[in-house]
Amino acid sequence: MSTISIHIKSGQNNWQVSIDTTASIATLKDEIAKVSEIPATNQRLIYSGKILKDDQNVDFYNIQDGHSVHLVRSGKKSTPTPATTNTTTNASNNTVPSNISAGQTGGFNPLADLTSARYAGYNLNLPSADAFGPDGGMNQSGTNPDEFLSMLDNPIVQSQMNEMLSNPQMIDFMIQSNPQLQAMGPQARQMFQSPMFRQMLTNPDMIRQSMQLANMMGMGPGARGSTNATDNAASSFPAPGGDDIINNNNTNTNTNTNTNNDTNDTATSNNDNANNNASSANTQNPFASLFNPTANNDSTGLAPNPFLAMLNNAGAGSGTNNAGATGTLPPFDPSMFASLFGGAGAPSTTPQQQDTRPPEERYETQLRQLNDMGFFDFDRNIAALRRTGGSVEAAVNALLNGDV
Amino acid sequence: MSSKRITKELSDMGRDPPTSCSAGPVGDDLYHWQASIMGPPDSPYAGGVFFLSIHFPTDYPFKPPKISFTTKIYHPNINANGNICLDILKDQWSPALTLSKVLLSICSLLTDANPDDPLVPEIAHIYKTDRPKYEATAREWTKKYAV
Repeated sequence: MSTISIHIKSGQNNWQVSIDTTASIATLKDEIAKVSEIPATNQRLIYSGKILKDDQNVDFYNIQDGHSVHLVRSGKKSTPTPATTNTTTNASNNTVPSNISAGQTGGFNPLADLTSARYAGYNLNLPSADAFGPDGGMNQSGTNPDEFLSMLDNPIVQSQMNEMLSNPQMIDFMIQSNPQLQAMGPQARQMFQSPMFRQMLTNPDMIRQSMQLANMMGMGPGARGSTNATDNAASSFPAPGGDDIINNNNTNTNTNTNTNNDTNDTATSNNDNANNNASSANTQNPFASLFNPTANNDSTGLAPNPFLAMLNNAGAGSGTNNAGATGTLPPFDPSMFASLFGGAGAPSTTPQQQDTRPPEERYETQLRQLNDMGFFDFDRNIAALRRTGGSVEAAVNALLNGDV
Repeated sequence: MSSKRITKELSDMGRDPPTSCSAGPVGDDLYHWQASIMGPPDSPYAGGVFFLSIHFPTDYPFKPPKISFTTKIYHPNINANGNICLDILKDQWSPALTLSKVLLSICSLLTDANPDDPLVPEIAHIYKTDRPKYEATAREWTKKYAV
């Protein structure tokens, strides 16, 4: 029980009131009303960044003798408290994160920061909507590798990637969020710590080269995957061609062998479908099965996959292309890069599933269904299908709602 | 090191706060503060009280505090998430600055926006081409969210 003296500041005005620390804020406002002639109901008192509530006591806000309290005149009768302050008066709310990412995967999520003020002023060239393709990233057909690469050229992005990769927590997070890496166990962490690997992820030239290589081969990652799969699955039977190529890569570029093997692992699991076909169907001659698309389809019992044929072609071609490029190109698989960042939430620009067919061909069956249902406007149908990623049902909804 | 500096700023802030700003720790965590800024009388934000959330980095004052608005505000340099585009919060930060000075800078940003380095280009465009419309909208938002 003690009396303190408080300065009340309101614009140019400055008053002084004495109040008992056990008195309520309402009483304080009455005191202020006496000296300032501002009715208590029109007063908003602010101390330490908080609005003072009528039903609390002066000592609850820990107001000290001689300190200043701000007074804001409000036009309203009551003293409304914006919702934002409610959470802050309670000490137990310290742990409640204030950004939208709250509640995401427990503990460490470095991407949560992206919503914070820290990034506000960086003209960080985040990928534009285009980077996710016409379907907003629903399928990966429209990704624009150029845009992605130009993003990697940005020094801010580079330094952030470096910072990220040198943070052990970040590495844990990436491994945690990617089942393929999880399965690799401690090797994954080792791989991330290798400077060679880090360079592979952060050097735009390297990525560009490997993307070019991938494009050259049509369906790069798949193709690489199949050779690698053979390499791993049948390491005791050196497969003709495939194995040698990979080994050549190792020696010619003086890569840390460990890194390289890990790279292969990731690529392998990434391309499970295609690889399993390739390696299990015929271990001794992996390419035999590649030349025979129908056999592949049958052996897996999967629904006919439109990419399979392309993968197979690429697989066949990769032997030669790869061999030709061995001396100059680093053994790097862009699909691995994509899968890492797919896990971490960044846009993945894997050319793996690039679908270059025109929409009328890609959505042929869906278009026919829409036509059967009486939607004859070709452009609108295509727009709706693109937006919904090829789902007829959702496209019909969009068409009926007039969204397209 | 940082906690000593923050404690000092806290005591300065309590004893002699700037006219239009106030700040203090949210709870027991010295590194997480909240602040309130009273809309400058000569701006469309007059009469409003705007709340901000402040996080001090552990290497404060060598790194700037992270400050964002928690009250919605219509301003060319403040976006919908409350992020503030202000040079002294980024590359122009100096350890000689204090939170009180930063809050005053934010106050003056409210009076004089910087439409040439906008965070919300749409608002900046209106600010430049149709000032009365910008002021009307800013006043409306202030009334809606900050009074």
